[in-house]
Amino acid sequence: MLKKLFINFLLVAAVVAVLDFALGKVLRHFYFRESSGLHYRTTYSMEKADADILIFGSSRANHHYVPEVFADSLGLTFYNTGRDGNGIFYQAALLKSVLKRYTPKVIILDYAGDFGKGRQVYDNLSSLLPYYQSHPEIRQEVNLRSPYESVKLLSGIYPYNSQLLTIAVGNLDMNKKRKSDNKGYVPLETEHPVVKEYFNSLIQQPVDSNKIESLREFVRVAKASGTRFVVVYSPLYQEHKRYWEIEICETICKEAGVPFWDYSRDSFFVQQPDLYYDPVHLNHKGALIFSKQIASRMRDVLH
Amino acid sequence: MVFTSVNFILFFAAVIVLYFSAPLKWRWLVLLVASYFFYINIKPVFAILLAAVTASTYVFTRLMDQTRKESRKNVYKVINIILVLLPLFFFKYFAVINNSLIAGLQGWGIHWPLPEIELFLPVGISFYTFMAIGYTIDVFNEETPAEKHPGIVALFISFFPLILSGPIERAGNMLPQFRNPVNPDYDKVVKGLRFMLWGFFMKLVVADRIGIYVDAVYHNIPNHNGTTLLAAFFLYPFQVYADLGGYSLVAIGVAGILGIKVMDNFRRPFFAATMAEFWRRWHMSLITWLTDYVYTPISFALRQYKLWGIVYSLMITFMISGIWHAASLTFVAWGLLQGIYLSVEALTNKQRANMEKKYKLANRGWYIFLSCLITFILFGISQVFARSANLQDAFQVLGKIVTEPGALFIGAPSILIFSILGISMVMLKDFTDEYYPGRFLLFENRNKPVRVMAYSLVIVLILLIGVFDGGEFIYFQF
Repeated sequence: MLKKLFINFLLVAAVVAVLDFALGKVLRHFYFRESSGLHYRTTYSMEKADADILIFGSSRANHHYVPEVFADSLGLTFYNTGRDGNGIFYQAALLKSVLKRYTPKVIILDYAGDFGKGRQVYDNLSSLLPYYQSHPEIRQEVNLRSPYESVKLLSGIYPYNSQLLTIAVGNLDMNKKRKSDNKGYVPLETEHPVVKEYFNSLIQQPVDSNKIESLREFVRVAKASGTRFVVVYSPLYQEHKRYWEIEICETICKEAGVPFWDYSRDSFFVQQPDLYYDPVHLNHKGALIFSKQIASRMRDVLH
Repeated sequence: MVFTSVNFILFFAAVIVLYFSAPLKWRWLVLLVASYFFYINIKPVFAILLAAVTASTYVFTRLMDQTRKESRKNVYKVINIILVLLPLFFFKYFAVINNSLIAGLQGWGIHWPLPEIELFLPVGISFYTFMAIGYTIDVFNEETPAEKHPGIVALFISFFPLILSGPIERAGNMLPQFRNPVNPDYDKVVKGLRFMLWGFFMKLVVADRIGIYVDAVYHNIPNHNGTTLLAAFFLYPFQVYADLGGYSLVAIGVAGILGIKVMDNFRRPFFAATMAEFWRRWHMSLITWLTDYVYTPISFALRQYKLWGIVYSLMITFMISGIWHAASLTFVAWGLLQGIYLSVEALTNKQRANMEKKYKLANRGWYIFLSCLITFILFGISQVFARSANLQDAFQVLGKIVTEPGALFIGAPSILIFSILGISMVMLKDFTDEYYPGRFLLFENRNKPVRVMAYSLVIVLILLIGVFDGGEFIYFQF
């Protein structure tokens, strides 16, 4: 009985392995052929970006820093690597990949202000799975997803799990209809925020020490690279109810001798609905004003 | 340690090796240790409750067995039921009652002496409590002899495939299997693996994918229009079916591989033409439990009221079912609705049968389809209450569906597309099983290459479009 079971099990495993290998190769091929969208921007950030100024962060970074403002004001090239829904682990992994290739003149980390425990930020590290094999420097972060991540990644399909349609769209004519980014920056156009009790849901969460450690490491690695490095907390529609999280970040920066610019309580931005897309994201108008302020301060740092 | 985790796969592989390499007479011990390890892994302190429920059940069923006096046996039965129910009441209902009293009395200016509390519900408590009560009543009714071996009783109540979300098994079926384990059987192992594979598909590809959409909608009801809420209305029953149905299949498959036959929990529920039939196909282990231990005794006691006795019994049974799910008004409403549906059906059964006979409707495709659709919609309405955080939300959802049409919220298109693909596959399988039994088989095809390809493609589909970050099963919260 065991022999029969074992042989049939092996047979199914062999067919699955062949399908997994073939389909994995196809998916990989088309994934890296995309020329717009989130996949493309991550690939570009990791493997091609060579701008003087690099912005790191989550959606708040992605939607808050307007390239032209920095290029015009500082006369430097610019790329925004911010990605929606991705936290400090993603940013730390990305930084390591970038620094392996070159050292930008300026790095701005837009810190998203979340040290709360929760699976989401770990789950969202799936965006780095396609790079796991070819970028050993990001494995420390990706392995935070689960202790078995390296085993799961023996599968060719797994790194592209749930991405089938996105990859297909990125390789079809529909691709051209996608809203394109501007050097990584994606503007948000809606002008009126829906004011939700967004931060109330965060109040009870306990602290995730992995996130604190990861931020510490980001700051240490960026500082050690010799780049001009600044950490920014960009504006919020209403005051952060877990302000101590921002204070932790400030302390980490202070200890490392890195400037920390906190705009979370800046009266110019707080409670100004026409500058926001939603309670935590500036719209393009808000992003323009904010970018000008950051670029102006950056000019002082550079000179 | 959820069934869909790598930890569980490793754990189960170790259990299989240890179980089948142990001598027959010690296999119960392997399973008992594995079951407690599995449960302790969630939160060690909860195992104390489990052990206490087991000890109480063992002691009182043994006392019942040794007593000839009916009245004394009854006293033992009642004492054990109360003792077994105490933890369930405390963890599931005490905080709700206490906090409601604080809020309610505050309005009257009265200070309630206890502080507001929030208790963590021990996972699976509703399931193993019902199994312990069922066993107690079975021993009292002399349908099952009291088990003399405490280890076998402990294993029955804690058996790891069933402890978290059922199926709610009966002592009469399980105890003899634990007492007399069998050696591995090729067909049983393969059948168990098939069940597990399809269960994983239902959970990872269907339930968790739908869950992304439904959660996004229900977490933000005020900002969604009727069309979007209607989409969530139709999707949620499929999510629950794929979630609990998927869990049940994995549980049945795991037990089956160990040579233990566990009752079915779902039988193509969305092909039910009436609510009565629906409840013979949906969460069958809970419903048969409620029928045997709640509905039948009540309807027997109310038999002099004839049809109305049945109506009262139905209402009480489903109210208990609702409260068993959760101590909230939404589940009271859920139970009330089921009671109303079934009562109306019971009261109009004759007229319906006459109409079907007169117009020869029973075998007409359109009539069957319409009946199934109406049953689905009625169940869907009740599920709005089950899914909503409170009654206000539930009424808002139902109100908006009727009054606020608009553009459908799509979010990431892949969520809806993969959801529909998954639902179609599950429903196609159910459809062929229902109307063409023994035909169009894939997993059970006579042709080996077809079987191998079917298994392989389902595994590839899980890898390709399964949700691996979906988290726990819905019924863990009950």
